Amino acid sequence: MEKYHSTFWTALSLFVVILSYNMGLGGFHTPGPGLMPFLLGVFLLLTSLYLLWKSLLKKVATEETATEEQSQTNYQKIGLVLASLFFFALLLEPLGYLIVTFLFFVLLFRSVGNRWRTVLMASAFTTLVTYFGFTFFGVRFPKGILKF
Amino acid sequence: MDIFSGLLFGFQTILEPSNLFYCFLGVFIGTLIGVLPGIGPIGAMSILLPMTFGISPVSSIIMLAGIYYGSQYGGSTTSILVNIPGEASSIVTCLDGYQMARQGRAGPALGIAAFGSLIGGTFSIIALIFLVIPLAQVALKFGPPEYFSLICLGLLTSIYLSKGSFVKALVMILIGLILGCVGIDSVSAFPRFTFGCPSLYDGIGVGQIAMGLFGISEVLINLEKSLERTIFKTRVKNLLPNRQDWKRSIGPITRGSLLGFLLGILPGGGAVIASFLSYTVEKKISKNPDAFGKGAIEGVAGPETANNAGAGGAFVPLLALGIPGNAVMALLLGALIIHGVTPSPIFITQHPNIFWGVIASMYVGNLMLLILNLPLIGLWVKLLKVPYRILMPLILLFCLIGAYSINNNVTDVIIMIIFGIVGYILRKFGYEPAPLILAFILGPMLETAFRQSLIMGDGRFGIFVERPISAVILVIAVLVVISTGFSYYRKVKAEVIIE
Repeated sequence: MEKYHSTFWTALSLFVVILSYNMGLGGFHTPGPGLMPFLLGVFLLLTSLYLLWKSLLKKVATEETATEEQSQTNYQKIGLVLASLFFFALLLEPLGYLIVTFLFFVLLFRSVGNRWRTVLMASAFTTLVTYFGFTFFGVRFPKGILKF
Repeated sequence: MDIFSGLLFGFQTILEPSNLFYCFLGVFIGTLIGVLPGIGPIGAMSILLPMTFGISPVSSIIMLAGIYYGSQYGGSTTSILVNIPGEASSIVTCLDGYQMARQGRAGPALGIAAFGSLIGGTFSIIALIFLVIPLAQVALKFGPPEYFSLICLGLLTSIYLSKGSFVKALVMILIGLILGCVGIDSVSAFPRFTFGCPSLYDGIGVGQIAMGLFGISEVLINLEKSLERTIFKTRVKNLLPNRQDWKRSIGPITRGSLLGFLLGILPGGGAVIASFLSYTVEKKISKNPDAFGKGAIEGVAGPETANNAGAGGAFVPLLALGIPGNAVMALLLGALIIHGVTPSPIFITQHPNIFWGVIASMYVGNLMLLILNLPLIGLWVKLLKVPYRILMPLILLFCLIGAYSINNNVTDVIIMIIFGIVGYILRKFGYEPAPLILAFILGPMLETAFRQSLIMGDGRFGIFVERPISAVILVIAVLVVISTGFSYYRKVKAEVIIE
């Protein structure tokens, strides 16, 4: 695994170095906008090359064999949570806080296997409580399709 | 303002009802997140950061600081009763605290943890006052080269003290510094790494990064493991430690206070390392080291005192020099900057209400915590039973709303989610996000100091070593690097031998 992330850091640092070189390094008398990111990029490049070199030296035999089955179910859960986060972010403004939050909770509470009745009641309850709680702290929400 | 009138002024500030309320809210939330799994003080502070925009700077810092030291209290409760540390700084408390609970001595364990915390916390506040004021006076002589050297020293020390691999911590620091460069350059007005996205012109917000890295990613990591906990079924009684307990604990508490405070001052230090070292020291000097791990009260008293004293010590570099030493302090600095307050050596004279107010609030907060944690322990034990599947959606919602409320803008929410994914991947590969956030906050300060120094020194790097204070700091930094390299070499060598 180490091989992959050190390759990623190397690529990233090259990207930073090139971009910051193009910003203009200036001289040491008059440091330009690119100087600091350029130096940081060079440091990162050296560090990631060292990581890469070290990972290539390591014997491949020590690669661990992960339990496939378990990691599959985990990624499903993580995928669902990420999807619901993006769902919330993208629909908050068009639909409004109350509807989006309610659906967000329904999705997540249901995903952990609660019964529908409990899911709906709990979602409605937490949506209303958080709505009043956040508004108390002065947070203003988009109204969306509801008019409040 | 001398110390006495300063303190008086501070207590006047904290006793205003609104400040008292926010102090209570802070320590309450702190205890809560200390008890609850899946969210730590950095996550909670970053979620609440946007909510503090509407209140005065002094109230918001009082509340955020309260979350930090409050979480040190709450963390011990779960360590003792469930054998799961609520916070990283309570990991060692599990060793003897849980054993004490199993032997029916949960009460004294919780009691000594709370009293130790109070004593350690109080000691560190007093030591803080006596250290910050002279230190700030010395720091008045600092120019950009000294600040550059100091920030370098801070970042290097945090690598040295990091938990995992040094190289990985270095990568995190460099990434944090690079992320700090995003946005319009303050000198040349040149947009850097913005890729034409106007939301990035002001740079990436500290709230979005912190919530992503410490809120969302922590939830994702926790989804992988089962967090259903079996709570020790016992009635917690006799919270007051007896005379014998006190006799055994007084030494660890005294040493823990001193050790914790000193370690807390170090960059990258803070409460976590303080608690670990205190445990090691107590075990080493004990006449009966075999008792450790089997329910020795010394193993609870020392670390629990040290982590609270460490939390206090961590305020020293922030309040005296304006340089945060760890990720939590970096967030506090971020909060101060958002409120238009820039901590510097003249911070104490410029904003005496914040400085003395926060100090006094820590004292009041510690007393509140004692009341919250001892008589109300039953309430927290009940909260331990809240299942994670109910907490998880709530933590996520708090992050989402927190990010949205920064600018009432969905782009911030998306940025936060992206950092959540980044944080999850980083943790999976053994990269700790704490150095990243520290470097992210220090980055712009480092760059400004670097550029100003170069202009001052007419483009010569000699300026950093020609000025005596800067030279001394750099020598220490070099020693830290050598020492890091040496222990890294030993670690690699040990790995080779094992293979």
